[in-house]
Amino acid sequence: MKVTRWDLLNPRIYGLRVSALWGLYRRRLKYHAVSELMAGSGIAIGVALVFGVLVANGSVLASTRQTINSVNGRASLKLAARSSSGFSEQIAERVGSLPGVTTSASILRQSAVIEGPRGHESVQLVGVTPGLVRLHGAATRDLGAGARMLSGGLGLPSGVATSIGVQTEQPATLLVDGTTHTALVEAVLSAGSIGALSSSGIAVALLPQVQALAGKPHRVSEVLISTAPGKHNQVSSELRTLAAGRLDVLPAGAELSLLEATAKPTNNTTTLFAAIGLMVGFLLAINAMMLTVPQRRRQVAQMRTEGFDSRQVLMIMTSQSLMLGVVSSLLGVAFGIVLARTIFREAPTYLAVAFAVSGHLEVHPSIVLAAVGAGVLATLLASLTPVLDLLSNEPVDAVLRRPGEAGQGITPKTRRVLAIIGLVTLLATTIAVLVAPGLTVVGGITLALATFCFLPIAIFAITRCLRWIAREYHGGMLAMAVLELESAATRTVVLAGVAALAVYGSTAVGGARSNLIEGLDTATVQFFDTADIWVTAPTNDLGTTSFAPDMLVRAISQERDVASVRTYQGGLLDVGTRRLWLRARPSDDPTMLQASQILEGSASTGTERLRAGERWVALSGTLATAYGVKVGGWFTLPTPSGPERFHVAAVTTNVGWPPGAITFNAADYSRYWQTNDPSALEITLKSGIAPEAGKLAVERALRGDPGLRVQTMAQRITQFENNLRLGLRPLLEISRLLLVLAALALATALGTAIYQRRARFITLKEDGFDRLRLLRALLIESTVILGVGASDGILTGLYGHVLANRYLRLGPGFPAPFSVGGLQIASTLFIVGGVTLAVLALLGYLAAGVSTQLSSLE
Amino acid sequence: MTTLELHNVVKRYQGAGEAISAVDGVSLRIGPGEFVALYGPSGSGKTTLLSMAAAIMRPDDGEVCFDGRRVSDLSESESARYRRENVGMVSQSFNLLGGATALDNASLKLLPLGLTFRQAHRKALPWLERVGLGARAKHTPGEMSMGERQRVAIAKALANTPRLLLADEPTGNLDSQRSREILGMLAEISHEHKLPALLVTHDPQATAFVDRTYTLRDGRLSNGLDVELLPTVHQ
Repeated sequence: MKVTRWDLLNPRIYGLRVSALWGLYRRRLKYHAVSELMAGSGIAIGVALVFGVLVANGSVLASTRQTINSVNGRASLKLAARSSSGFSEQIAERVGSLPGVTTSASILRQSAVIEGPRGHESVQLVGVTPGLVRLHGAATRDLGAGARMLSGGLGLPSGVATSIGVQTEQPATLLVDGTTHTALVEAVLSAGSIGALSSSGIAVALLPQVQALAGKPHRVSEVLISTAPGKHNQVSSELRTLAAGRLDVLPAGAELSLLEATAKPTNNTTTLFAAIGLMVGFLLAINAMMLTVPQRRRQVAQMRTEGFDSRQVLMIMTSQSLMLGVVSSLLGVAFGIVLARTIFREAPTYLAVAFAVSGHLEVHPSIVLAAVGAGVLATLLASLTPVLDLLSNEPVDAVLRRPGEAGQGITPKTRRVLAIIGLVTLLATTIAVLVAPGLTVVGGITLALATFCFLPIAIFAITRCLRWIAREYHGGMLAMAVLELESAATRTVVLAGVAALAVYGSTAVGGARSNLIEGLDTATVQFFDTADIWVTAPTNDLGTTSFAPDMLVRAISQERDVASVRTYQGGLLDVGTRRLWLRARPSDDPTMLQASQILEGSASTGTERLRAGERWVALSGTLATAYGVKVGGWFTLPTPSGPERFHVAAVTTNVGWPPGAITFNAADYSRYWQTNDPSALEITLKSGIAPEAGKLAVERALRGDPGLRVQTMAQRITQFENNLRLGLRPLLEISRLLLVLAALALATALGTAIYQRRARFITLKEDGFDRLRLLRALLIESTVILGVGASDGILTGLYGHVLANRYLRLGPGFPAPFSVGGLQIASTLFIVGGVTLAVLALLGYLAAGVSTQLSSLE
Repeated sequence: MTTLELHNVVKRYQGAGEAISAVDGVSLRIGPGEFVALYGPSGSGKTTLLSMAAAIMRPDDGEVCFDGRRVSDLSESESARYRRENVGMVSQSFNLLGGATALDNASLKLLPLGLTFRQAHRKALPWLERVGLGARAKHTPGEMSMGERQRVAIAKALANTPRLLLADEPTGNLDSQRSREILGMLAEISHEHKLPALLVTHDPQATAFVDRTYTLRDGRLSNGLDVELLPTVHQ
């Protein structure tokens, strides 16, 4: 047979032309637009939710990786300081002359704030040398010309320049080390020349200039080193000798490992929430499709009676599911990109305190494929039930001849099997999560599945009880509702499932988030309530940027309203893959330890020991586990003075910083970190002085120096809490999004269910039911469905909340005291119930008023 | 004694650009225990006429009276009450709940009267027994034959002890043997309970079971079976 071009463009599959498949789907879209739209919405919601979160989280790491690699170029090693004081430039020069080193480039990093006409940005001021160009990094290739261009001025990535509103040849104000400087912007570096670095929070200048601005003459933070082939180990060994235990010898890309380790707990938490969201979305999609099962079974039966064979029916059903799945998933991806660019974009804020993260949005094709794949899989799974009729031994038209809606019955065996699956899932989840808290993410998904599995038996039990009431005490519309619930069991379970999943997701995610916020807020208040007024470097909320005190302490102390001024010190320390938060409190601080954050040891003994100094420290639980120490035990910490041993006064939570924190006595910190520079000044006011008045007095003493920020305790707490909340914003957005989208899904599901029953309402009206009676029966029925679904969702949601809370405390070690969160559950029920009643009131009233004349047109 | 009366009833539908008379000046009276057949081909207006008798539809002209009371201009809730309390309707499609038992289905019409399941079952079970399904009360329609399903529908129509029986093609889905059984049963019940009964059918054989037959053709009523229509019907 001759094959024409038409045959190639429009091939036959199992005897069906591709155009015929498309034509059949168009017909389906025409006559079942509502159900297709609803199913598609469910799929798109799930895909969008997970895609948005994954892209946003992945982007920070992917674009920062790109940034680091583009600067490091051929460098494979780096010699790094253990404090912001850096190390001598002479050591850096000796690195360049080590055998096996081909290129070395010294860098000084300094936290700073840059101000322009449009605002200010927290940046990392980076001092570079021409040696950096010889590393041939993608971002520094053009810096050879740039070095000349930068002489005496700054190079700003286009993101920062746009944000503060400066252009080339315009001045910008730099606040460094507590002092103010004016610098000329010599170059604005766009993505075209420096790639993802253009979205980073940095400002580049030549090394001597940054040394002068930072007040650190002849000091550097790190040296990037490229080695001759085969000389890596030799150079590494030479560097360790040179470092003499006071500096770190690290792989050049160590910064990324630190960032990954820092972001991991929060990413895992977000992923847990997103996974719950994904499962909810996935099941919503399946549920949405399930509502169309009776109608699809009729479609299968009709096709079989018309002579389509099983393979052809399978092909048609699969192709229709594929089309729906692919289109909905792609729409979900598009929606997810919008979410990633808007809502979830705020995520890296807390990381920017300790890393030069890039805000460049990276969409990896693998995430798109995974999201689309999940959406299509959900659709295919959900469309499986009607296809099972192909395996049945019944006559091909059996479904068509059956009274009522096809596929609405749930057999006792199915109920029992699903309940057993639910119980086994619950048990397996509990065991798995108890053994390995890291599996909580998976647990969130399996619990969603269990939520659904319990529904058929729960609805059966409740319906049985209601039937008994309707038999013995109160018939009428309750009896009518019972009949409807029993005779359309699949629809009942599907609708209750949507409600259950909405409540489950919202209760589990929202509850865990509330605990986290509550724990962090308590930790914050106790951390900052040691002083009435705080003086810090601008925008550095962790208090890790030190500044030169000069005459500040004396000037502030002399103010009439000031009772005392204490020096708080702090910084960041890289240990392995952790960037630790170091907090050093002066002995005369009213509080040395936050009592609410102690996991092991006593607050009074811990405080006593810390106040005494002598190498007593408090450290986070995750660190204690990593070092294998308990209260009273010793461990070794790399310090700028070399490795030093400390003993544990108390074990705390991570106090909100995922990699962990160590609290010192400021005297110990000064000794081992070889600095007296404060990173904050704690000021106690004289009795009776209002905080605002005290703040004005301190500002007066500083003579309005914008290089330092003066805040009352309340202001400092509010700002810190706001930043913490910003970091946790994706969790809030996920829980809200989940609830709103699930409520919408519930509204759509209810609407579809009511719409599908118009014919039934007509026959009931012929039997003498009026509009109000129908509406009353519908209301009772919906209340039962919602009640059972919501109760199921609350129970499993609370269990999910317990597991998520346990993970937050045991995994990353967050402060997250468990509380049920009744308000969260009440607001969830209010939204879900409100949506249901609103839909019922409107659509139910309209549907119950359907004219009986529709059935009488002959 | 209960009587259904139609006086010069007219019903028009708006067709493509012109009004079509589905029922055109029909007058009819069915007395107690009278089983009357309304015969006619598809589209002749039979179901429209029956719907007006059930107060499902209002006539454009004329009036429908039941038991001397005008039912052709009742409000929606009044017409529902009329059907609930007075009318038993049997249709070709049975209108049964697939997942409910025969007894629950037969009790359905009693629920809007505020009865409990126990009370409704007590009233419906004798009717199920009357149609020969007492032993199958706990079975669902899915487990029954077409004839049995239609008998459940009849029990349901009679469970509220109606004063008027309306049947719209009740044998449309049945074979001739089952059709004869059902029609015989309806006739028997009508006579036994002195119910005025109106049967709408396009099956000429059904006329053998009724007391009187009318033919409805293009909305107009004529006495007896119109033999001219017979070949058309059988096609």
